Amino acid sequence: MLHLRNLRVTIDDYEIINIDDLALQPGARLGLVGESGSGKTMTAKAIAGLLPNEAKVSGEVNFDGQNLLTLGDRDLAKVRGKRIGFVFQDPARSLNPMMRIGKQVSEAIRIHTNLKGQAVTDKVVDLLRQVQLPEPETLLRRYPHQLSGGQQQRVMIAAAIAADPDLLIADEPTTALDVTVQEEILRLLISLSEQRKMSLLFVSHDLGVVRFVCNQVAVIYGGNIVEAGNIDNIINRPQHRYTAALLAANPGMPKDDNFSAFIGRRLQTITGSVPPVGRFPSGCRFRNRCQHASEKCATTPPITVSASDHRYLCWHPEQGGQS
Amino acid sequence: MTSAATSPSPLVAVEQMYFHYPRARITAGGAGWTLQDISLTIDLKSTVGIVGESGSGKSTLIRVMCGLLRHQQGNVRFNGKDITEYQGDGANELRRQNQIVFQNPRRSLDPRMTIRRSLTEPIRALQQRTPDDDELVSSIKRVGLGPEVLSRFPHQLSGGQLQRVGIARSLSVNPTILYADEPVSALDVSVQAQVLNLLMDLRDQMGLTLVMVSHDLGVVSRMCEHIVVMRHGHIVEAGRTSDVLSRPSSDYTATLLKAARAASLERS
Ligand SMILES: Nc1ncnc2c1ncn2[C@@H]1O[C@H](COP(=O)(O)OP(=O)(O)OP(=O)(O)O)[C@@H](O)[C@H]1O
Ligand SMILES: Nc1ncnc2c1ncn2[C@@H]1O[C@H](COP(=O)(O)OP(=O)(O)OP(=O)(O)O)[C@@H](O)[C@H]1O
Ligand SMILES: [Mg+2]
Ligand SMILES: [Mg+2]
Repeated sequence: MLHLRNLRVTIDDYEIINIDDLALQPGARLGLVGESGSGKTMTAKAIAGLLPNEAKVSGEVNFDGQNLLTLGDRDLAKVRGKRIGFVFQDPARSLNPMMRIGKQVSEAIRIHTNLKGQAVTDKVVDLLRQVQLPEPETLLRRYPHQLSGGQQQRVMIAAAIAADPDLLIADEPTTALDVTVQEEILRLLISLSEQRKMSLLFVSHDLGVVRFVCNQVAVIYGGNIVEAGNIDNIINRPQHRYTAALLAANPGMPKDDNFSAFIGRRLQTITGSVPPVGRFPSGCRFRNRCQHASEKCATTPPITVSASDHRYLCWHPEQGGQS
Repeated sequence: MTSAATSPSPLVAVEQMYFHYPRARITAGGAGWTLQDISLTIDLKSTVGIVGESGSGKSTLIRVMCGLLRHQQGNVRFNGKDITEYQGDGANELRRQNQIVFQNPRRSLDPRMTIRRSLTEPIRALQQRTPDDDELVSSIKRVGLGPEVLSRFPHQLSGGQLQRVGIARSLSVNPTILYADEPVSALDVSVQAQVLNLLMDLRDQMGLTLVMVSHDLGVVSRMCEHIVVMRHGHIVEAGRTSDVLSRPSSDYTATLLKAARAASLERS
């Protein structure tokens, strides 16, 4: 369905993304996980052809046999929105504040389908109902500021799935929502992907959320995919030291509801912080923050692939390399 | 937070408090109130987590407790004295002892001010003195930042660094109680861990009373001995965190827990 090969994005000669191989099968849900500044949004934008003008891209974004990077603007516009839906990181900034909700969703329908007149309105109501917004008939006359953050987020999803895309890219669709609304939206994304056989690329910094939604995960750091594979394998047996550190820093919930043992428990932190673009070390991008780094790590680690297609780039993997 | 009976003089005592924003229409049935019938106490040096759905009144409640918003009915006492009686110098003293850290560090610091000025300003306003360099350096070091940060502007710092500055700023006036309103929800998981550890350390070192609003039950159950669960402007349940979360008495708390468990990793 989607296959990235040697995808490289640079801005001002600084490498922001360098992904040699990442694939997403039809109907699969892949989580893209990493700290702030690791390149998640840039990867998503590279796939959707929405990179800023100053960015230079090379390699392949193969979508159903076509390399999207070589398509002209008109052909690309047909794919984007119609076959690839996009939910942006910040709903407040991506909904038009001056336009009623119904209009924003119907624009998407008019552009990408042949529906007209009442059929469009019916479809809007149907979509708003699918994303479980209350009273869709009245809601479509409201403006974005009259909706809560969670409701805005659902409108974004409704617009993104209006054309029944084969791939939905959702960039941190639930950050800053409360847990119950978050759970609803995550369940919605799962059921859309199951019912419509829609693939999902789900961007998040939280492995707990990714485990709930996705069956696969790719961990990104410094624009490189450092580990990828089945979500349960990676959560139970992380190999790359960065993945292990991200897991350890996650606050989580206490096992077996043992809340009294949880109180006062400090979190594990990752030494240092994500460097700005251009300041990552050579070789393993994570080595200046890694407790296990050795001289070897100054050279690019080899890709290790296990039998279960769990792959990682690390000289000193967590469990000596079995998975 | 304990019942009034076991604690004769809590630091903060709220009794049957009601609050509405200006121009709200209060009906006979009680609609219109943002906070209704709120009673709770906070003991000196305790740690309290406030959880509940978006719009339930968590931020409003902490603003009323620290005197930034004025309630219309009931009582709010700080150190045994009604907060409406803190006037003039007393009002400054109330503000000094009650500090808030906000969710979005970028929005809570003035982008045109250096970090040095942002740190100096509350001390000038609330203590009528100008801190020397040694004091500013030690205040920035306390939150794990270097003195070079003092000459920077907010846009030159990362989200996690800015939130540390926000915490340093609140602590610079040596408060008794620190209210943190979703202090880490704008930060990614690894930076969250640093800021939460910092808050736990500072609380222990400085003997702070800490009240934290959070949507993350995992974070609250690590950091807060006591929990208040809010919904629609009411307190639905409150008590020791491990009791409330192990045996929730309200359906709403159970729903919250279920949602939190679904999208969280299990930690032993
Ligand atoms: N227009 C741009 N010009 C130059 N650098 C940019 C631009 N946009 C992003 N970057 C840089 O590219 C890197 C990756 O950014 P990206 O937005 O992909 O991170 P992210 O993983 O999505 O982070 P977050 O979790 O904060 O959303 C960052 O260092 C960022 O500062
Ligand atoms: N300045 C204001 N004027 C009028 N109404 C307000 C104001 N601030 C908040 N409200 C309303 O008061 C109610 C409680 O808001 P509050 O911000 O206290 O909720 P919260 O529990 O902190 O929510 P969140 O989790 O989204 O931060 C909401 O209905 C909100 O819309
Ligand atoms: Mg991003
Ligand atoms: Mg709030």
